[in-house]
Amino acid sequence: MVWGAPMTKTVWAWVWFGFLLALDIAIPWYVLTSVERMSAAFLFWTIWVLAAIASAFFIFIKWRAVRP
Amino acid sequence: MSATFWVWFGISVYIAAGLGIAFMARRQLGAGVSEFFLANRKLGGFISALTYSATTYSAFMMIGLAGLTYLSGVGALGFELTYLCGMFMMVFFLPRFWLVGKKYGYVSPMELLSDRYQNRGVGATAAILALVFLVPYGAVQLVGVGYLVSGVSGGAIAVGWGIVIAAVCAIAWSSIAGLRSVAWTDAFQALIMITVSAAVLGVVINALGGFGAFFGKLESAVPGLLTVPTASGSWNLNMFIGLALPWLFFLISNPQVSQRLFIPKSVTAMKQMLGGFLIFGFLYTMISVLWGFSARLLVPGLENADLATPTMLALPIIPTGLAIVVMIGITAAAISTIDSILLTLSSVWARDIHKGLINRQVSEKRELRVGQWVIPIMAIIAFVFAWWAAGLAPFEQAGGVFDRMIAPLSSAASAGLLMAVPTIFGAFFWKRGTALGAMVSMIVGAIIVLVFQVTGEKPLGWWPGVWGFVVCVPLFVIVSLATKPPRDKAEEFLGYLKGALKKGRFI
Repeated sequence: MVWGAPMTKTVWAWVWFGFLLALDIAIPWYVLTSVERMSAAFLFWTIWVLAAIASAFFIFIKWRAVRP
Repeated sequence: MSATFWVWFGISVYIAAGLGIAFMARRQLGAGVSEFFLANRKLGGFISALTYSATTYSAFMMIGLAGLTYLSGVGALGFELTYLCGMFMMVFFLPRFWLVGKKYGYVSPMELLSDRYQNRGVGATAAILALVFLVPYGAVQLVGVGYLVSGVSGGAIAVGWGIVIAAVCAIAWSSIAGLRSVAWTDAFQALIMITVSAAVLGVVINALGGFGAFFGKLESAVPGLLTVPTASGSWNLNMFIGLALPWLFFLISNPQVSQRLFIPKSVTAMKQMLGGFLIFGFLYTMISVLWGFSARLLVPGLENADLATPTMLALPIIPTGLAIVVMIGITAAAISTIDSILLTLSSVWARDIHKGLINRQVSEKRELRVGQWVIPIMAIIAFVFAWWAAGLAPFEQAGGVFDRMIAPLSSAASAGLLMAVPTIFGAFFWKRGTALGAMVSMIVGAIIVLVFQVTGEKPLGWWPGVWGFVVCVPLFVIVSLATKPPRDKAEEFLGYLKGALKKGRFI
């Protein structure tokens, strides 16, 4: 992202990443903090990281061959 | 036959196999610095994915992370998965590193920084940062092997022997054929790591009555470990951010992994490397954390949580043969990390310190020779640190059990390397970044981290890496704005990237 350049997809990807990080803190420490079960923080982090991995796949699967 | 015999036998077979693979790799070794340190940038996707995985995941996972889970619960999972989530940033950095690496022929990430900021001091500063902070990180790998070998043999083999074996293997793997021998042995070791850890976890879960019963037992026996923060105060937000922040940026801050962004031979190989690593990382993290939880149920009350894995492997429910193979798998994880660190540090010394600062006219042949000499020297330094960290030296360190644990030591290393992150971001995303801004931010940030790490101070409860980062980011921006950027280079570098990124549908 070069500042001022119209790179909307890049900006959206950064925003999505920031949102994931916000969830990383918000859910376990403020929503599930008193739930002592495997279906709480453990399950949240598992699904959360799978969402991050899936979104990375969604982006890089579209890359195509280039010769630098 | 005794367990000690089988431990020595297993180690011997592992070393023989590793040497065989390394010498096979040597047959393909060509001439030159790029060949030795980067395998001529022509690795396929499968090998790239496995060497990236083996380099990233170390003894920390099945010993340190398992120990952290044992001690403090689910927060350890969040911490490690935050690193994996950080790998999302590969969609930005992987194509950028790869494209400029191919175009400008960079051998190390530091060389990239020197060229982009048009100042060799930037690369040299980042190189010194790597040399200072990767030593403890490499050393904890050696300590991990020491604990493991000693634990599995019931103490018959001393911790020091494990450290010696790991150090010698790491020197051999990285010296025989450079990145080719490291990558091939990494691939072999990564496959061992993931298969044997999954197998032993399966045995343990089965012994606990399956996943349903295992989860039920955790909820009834240690419910406090399933939330953050725990009742004992572990995993408060300061601890989580202090440990997770340096690892979030691990992919660009640690040169032994960012250097691997130069090596895939094509875009297809790059995609395979990233996809393969993400799958490997998810599986290995889940295995390590579940292993730590199972240890909490089966061997509660350990004084040193880092001994959870060796203690588990000595349980009668785990067949001796499997325990030996798991020990080899974890040893492989440690050695595959430290040999990569040694190789990267040698390239950094040869290219960014020796050629960058000491002798700019050095021939490629001489540069390569210097790098090859640095491998054993760095290994010896890591060895001395490991001896000290394991409490084997006469000047044994003071401090509590937690202070000596593998996880905080590893994270401390990444905390120092974190100080290069603003400079790396600036190189790719900010035309206005300058050499002075880069150097000042790295030096001041690193000093803060070192001082707080050594004194144990955590003002406001914030960890050393957080303090360093909070200071170095604004320093980079302010000093850059106050000094003159290398405008022509920035235009050319970022202009090239803009066009190339569009062609490849990168973002």
